[in-house]
Amino acid sequence: MTVPLQAEALDISFKLVPAIIVFLMMASFLVIGYVFKVADAEGMWVAGRGIGNIENGMAIGANWMSAASYLGLAGLVALSGFYGLAFIVGWTTGYFVLLIFLAAQMRRFGKYTAPDFVADRFNSPMARALAAFTTLLIAYVYSVGQARGMGLVAQYVFGLDIIPMIVVMMTITVGYLALSGMLGATKNMAVQYVILIVAFLAGVYVVGFTGGYSTVLPQIEYGALFSELSRQFSEPFIGGNGYYLWVATAFSLIFGTCGLPHVLVRFYTVKNERTARWSTVSGLFFIMLLYWAAPAMAAFGVDLFAAVNNLSPDAVYNGQQAMSGAEGDVIVVLAAQFADLPTWFVGLVAAGGMAAAIATTAGLFITASSAVAHDIYSELINPDATQRQQVLIGRATIVGIGALVTVTAFNPPALIGELVAYAFSLAGVVLFPMFFLGLWWENTNRQGALAGMTVGLLLWITSIINSVLPAYIGALGAAAGESGALIPIYAQYVPPIGAALVGTPLVFIVTIAVSLVTPEPPLETKKMVRQCHSPEPMGQQQTAEDIVSNSGGDAPADD
Amino acid sequence: MSDKNTHETATDGGATRAAQRHQNTDYLNEEVNLLKPSTAYMRDHLRIVWAGFVAWALIVFGPVTMTAIAPEMMTTTMPVLGFPWHYFLVAFCGPTGALVLAAIYARQRDKLDEKYGIEHTTGDPETGEHGDSGEAAATDGGVEQ
Repeated sequence: MTVPLQAEALDISFKLVPAIIVFLMMASFLVIGYVFKVADAEGMWVAGRGIGNIENGMAIGANWMSAASYLGLAGLVALSGFYGLAFIVGWTTGYFVLLIFLAAQMRRFGKYTAPDFVADRFNSPMARALAAFTTLLIAYVYSVGQARGMGLVAQYVFGLDIIPMIVVMMTITVGYLALSGMLGATKNMAVQYVILIVAFLAGVYVVGFTGGYSTVLPQIEYGALFSELSRQFSEPFIGGNGYYLWVATAFSLIFGTCGLPHVLVRFYTVKNERTARWSTVSGLFFIMLLYWAAPAMAAFGVDLFAAVNNLSPDAVYNGQQAMSGAEGDVIVVLAAQFADLPTWFVGLVAAGGMAAAIATTAGLFITASSAVAHDIYSELINPDATQRQQVLIGRATIVGIGALVTVTAFNPPALIGELVAYAFSLAGVVLFPMFFLGLWWENTNRQGALAGMTVGLLLWITSIINSVLPAYIGALGAAAGESGALIPIYAQYVPPIGAALVGTPLVFIVTIAVSLVTPEPPLETKKMVRQCHSPEPMGQQQTAEDIVSNSGGDAPADD
Repeated sequence: MSDKNTHETATDGGATRAAQRHQNTDYLNEEVNLLKPSTAYMRDHLRIVWAGFVAWALIVFGPVTMTAIAPEMMTTTMPVLGFPWHYFLVAFCGPTGALVLAAIYARQRDKLDEKYGIEHTTGDPETGEHGDSGEAAATDGGVEQ
């Protein structure tokens, strides 16, 4: 189950110019963030009022692009062929579901962290705790993929062995986090998006052009390569990757998109719900700029891999010199290296991947620390917590989760894209049903939500214990034997990567059934849900809760 | 995006009636249930939502299902571009289709707001939470960019 660590084909040595590019890129994020920083909460609102749909779309794109999009996606397409496309479909088309069912309603609800939404909608500190715990798990699993990605790519730039490299990169990430916090730098995501997409597309265009693969539209021109690549690159449903797994994976990624806290938070700063809708459209477009090009990069990389190593197309996938998982994960950088491009250019492509990973990880760590310090510690454990205690707990969380992520990344159970997909299936199973039912069925109540979230969490955790942990824990591994899973039939239908296909409908059923047999939620809560669906425009700073509590005498139906 | 059609200038009687009905609806007293829409607005909205959702499901899961059913037919090579059909339909058409559908939905939703005489202002709290004051105040404020 575990994948080889080091990418043998990568040119691993210290390179000065690429190292400078990496530091310049990270420094530019900090400087730009500092220049555009806002002094106080009010300032943020005024700035927020000005954020239109194009800029917010870019922010959605920057938020979205982690090492999983930048590196992992091409890696999956290169190594897993047609199955890899489930990730392309899953990580893009989910935005449509988000748009039609959740974006504008979430904007109207006015609460944007998952624990806040769940706590206010279901009037329950326990639900807040479950959502916070889920958020923490998501941040952890998501970050493991990032740590692996940044460690692998950083080898090209800094030239250390993989394990010290991961330690160094995670240290840099925590340092970046501290610096951005100290400078008060709110991330300027539009600029970050532009830097990342330019680095990625430059890689694709230049490799395509110098390799003689493409001219103006590599996103389409790589079609001509198919006749030269191994059948394995495009053959549907080979090996263990059957139709069920394909659909389960795509399904999990789609509904995970709709349940991920850091995606929803992007609707916070927009002018109104109309901007929320249109920025989802432009955000999807900006994401697609990368997703159209990623399979082209994978195809170029696979072809160059064969050419450089003197392999037949089929030998890329089978035999002694076949492409390893680690090589697949850095295929974006490898392709540039194989194409004999100057070191600084390969470094630019690598720096883009590292920057995406560092920025995403920093963001995830902040989410995790607020989930623990605010939602779990001060709301549940110690209601009288002082500011100082909360800050301490928050910092301890960052150190703790940082160490845990680092150690897990030494020996990861899967490719970058697959690791991140575990986090998506968790979000799709536990949080998406709460958002969806919470907004679309006013009678969803506290008991239903608690039961649903508990079932969802249990389902996902047992799936991980069943299929992932046997590779790490000796006793479990012995019990699992050959198949690698404790209960093979459970692993087949509820794989960690596609747990949502079974899990999400199950959580819906549990939540609805329990809500039906327990008392309806209070009228106040129902009105909040109704306010989310009213077509009446709302003020920028109003939440559904404000409107409901002010709605006493001036409702239009009084006349 | 034009959003100049207030209910006075709406082009047909249906729009005026819709706007009238909207004025007479107290949305805080109408149940929200995805399967039983209680207001005229939500019925219209859900028609767009479900049509979009069905089209989306076909675009996203149609080609891969067809590939499982008829692999021979789906894996033939496309003329000119050189892709096997199944690959192109999934890798390119699926995501692109979702993007096009998203734009269509957002456009339809704007039209629906026009029909019901709803305008989105820049969101100043001063305009109040009800459309009747918003309509007067926002003849130019709601124009994008």
